[in-house]
Amino acid sequence: MHNLLLIARREYLEQIRKRAFLISTILVPLFIGAILAFSAYSNKDLMNAGKHIAIATTDKSLASEIIAQLLNNKDERSEFDSIDGATEAQKAELTAKLKAKSIDGFVWVESQNDSVTKAMYESLSAGDIVIPEKVQGALNKVLVRRRMAQRNISPGEADALLKDVSVDVEQLNEQGQEVKSNFLATFFTGYLMAILLMMTTMQYGMNVARSVIQEKTSRIYEVVLSIAKPTEILAGKLVGAGAVGLTQIGIWGAAAVVIAGSSLATGMMNSNMHFSLSAKQIAFFTVYYLLGYLLNSSIFAGLSATCETEQELQMFVPLVTVPVALSFALIVAVINNPSGAFSVGISLFPLTAPIIMMFRMGSEMPPAWQFAASIALMLLSIWGALWVSSKLYRVGILMYGKRANLPEILRWIRYS
Amino acid sequence: MPIVELIQVTKAYESKVAVSQLSLAIEAGQMFGLLGPNGAGKTSSIRMMIGITIPDSGEVRLFDRPFDRHALARVGYLPEERGLYKKMKVIDQMVFFGQLRGLTAEEARSRGIRWAEKLMIAESLEKKTEELSKGMQQKIQFICSLIHDPGLVIMDEPFSGLDPVNATLLEDTLLELKAQGRAILFSTHRMDQVEKLCDSICLVNKGEAVLSGRMREIKGRYERNRILMQFEGREDFLKSAEIAEAKNYSGHVEIKLKPHGDAQKLLHEAAQMATIYRFEMVEPSLEEIFIETVGGRADA
Repeated sequence: MHNLLLIARREYLEQIRKRAFLISTILVPLFIGAILAFSAYSNKDLMNAGKHIAIATTDKSLASEIIAQLLNNKDERSEFDSIDGATEAQKAELTAKLKAKSIDGFVWVESQNDSVTKAMYESLSAGDIVIPEKVQGALNKVLVRRRMAQRNISPGEADALLKDVSVDVEQLNEQGQEVKSNFLATFFTGYLMAILLMMTTMQYGMNVARSVIQEKTSRIYEVVLSIAKPTEILAGKLVGAGAVGLTQIGIWGAAAVVIAGSSLATGMMNSNMHFSLSAKQIAFFTVYYLLGYLLNSSIFAGLSATCETEQELQMFVPLVTVPVALSFALIVAVINNPSGAFSVGISLFPLTAPIIMMFRMGSEMPPAWQFAASIALMLLSIWGALWVSSKLYRVGILMYGKRANLPEILRWIRYS
Repeated sequence: MPIVELIQVTKAYESKVAVSQLSLAIEAGQMFGLLGPNGAGKTSSIRMMIGITIPDSGEVRLFDRPFDRHALARVGYLPEERGLYKKMKVIDQMVFFGQLRGLTAEEARSRGIRWAEKLMIAESLEKKTEELSKGMQQKIQFICSLIHDPGLVIMDEPFSGLDPVNATLLEDTLLELKAQGRAILFSTHRMDQVEKLCDSICLVNKGEAVLSGRMREIKGRYERNRILMQFEGREDFLKSAEIAEAKNYSGHVEIKLKPHGDAQKLLHEAAQMATIYRFEMVEPSLEEIFIETVGGRADA
């Protein structure tokens, strides 16, 4: 344990002092902040672009009514010209104005006997989808009001009838209380787990692998192996590199809280997105993340012992995506039947457990024994991966000069 | 009591036998040279002494007990190639290895500084290892393997990459350690150093010990059939029936006698035709013994 901690501390300090660590730790939050700021800004811009639109109706007052409806939205920044009782000559005039770019577009509504026969929006840009959407909504509301008025329904009553209702999805939690549905949170935690696992394994798991190769080529291992056991060395490296990962994620997490708390994020957040993560879910998330990371990186540490150079190691990088891809391929089955035998099976399988458990937890809390079993299985497989890896490490480093093929690797595992 | 002992040790890898039935023992206060051509099995033997590999058969004993990893805390090991972390500061490196060997950080630091002063690299303590020359790195490696005051010091090619001044510095340090009663084993190709420093040697070839024992005793096994001579005058005596081979460097001659050749008779012959300034019968150098023993049998 003493050796393990010393090796972990050395690994941690070396990596954390690297320029690359500093740069990525600072740049990533800055980068994400910039993207958020930019997209918040451009979204606002896109939704409420101040355009100059003409609305022309053959009806005597429809254009004014549509514009009144549009201007109900206080955020509306476009400018509208209304032309009630428009004629064909005025339409030709609008087309000419559009060509001359003195307006951004015009709406033409033809009607006979109070029923609209034709409504169209003409603009120079094919991608202009926001304005027609808005105008259509306003036009329909105005028409419905008119029909209600014809059936002797007062404007007040009409407003009450037209009031929008949105559907809230609720779910019974373990205590039988109704809570807002966690469906989004389900996906959110599942995806977050997948992204975090993939990113950190790719970066820190690979760092472990890289440092194994580095020691192999510089022969430091001979000295260290004459003091510490291979399992201590590998576990020390995993813990050290893992702590670097946690430090970085911690810094990013703090940055995320700052960004989320700022006004930037409020522009981004859609009010329909409710995350209600319980403390229990957060705790399980942390546990499964750590276990998943340790399992993946101990497998990579073993693979790296069979490589001679970093280039050879690069060939193994795509393997990082295997547990993630596997989990995602199986998601549909889990979402449809979170407590079915198949779902339980794959949530116990160590490689898919971290991500699948997140999805299952979101849809329906699995029983305690399943958590216990999957965590136990993961711990067991981490130990197993470490054991095999340290065998590969001990023998692999003594067999420098050539890369191992599969039969050789199997021999190495038996050999000590 | 032997500090380290190999008893009939054999180690085979997939395709070849690296060490075969090798036995050797090193006592406290002894400097032991492990010699042999490249690929003879020197490093394989050393690796079994420090527990990196385990023998297929035979026994390794450390400090008069069967091999036990705990005993490694009293062993200092210097590998043949650089075994240092390139990005680490020199002093941090010393502290790390000291702590792995069970020292406290403070103790390791103060010992590291003392050693660095002794080996004249104190000004490099705060530098990163990669900024230093090969010779400097070798000295740091040397310190890292001695920082915990080991009873057994194992060094694989300790003098490689060192200039004569630094090589002498390290030789003196090894002699001091020997005087303090430590057992020292080093492997090398440099016969002159072995001859100068070692009390005992073991010459391995193709995994087997072909020659071992105390230096004096080994040398005694070989005939004194070489003569160094300095003369002025006629050199016809060099065609004497007693001589197998003679190299004449204008007055300085190295002569090898025939088996049972008579040196006195040769001296008599020479004295009749030349003035003799020097006539010395010398024992064979270790290098000659090495070449004669290994001869064409070495792999490399």
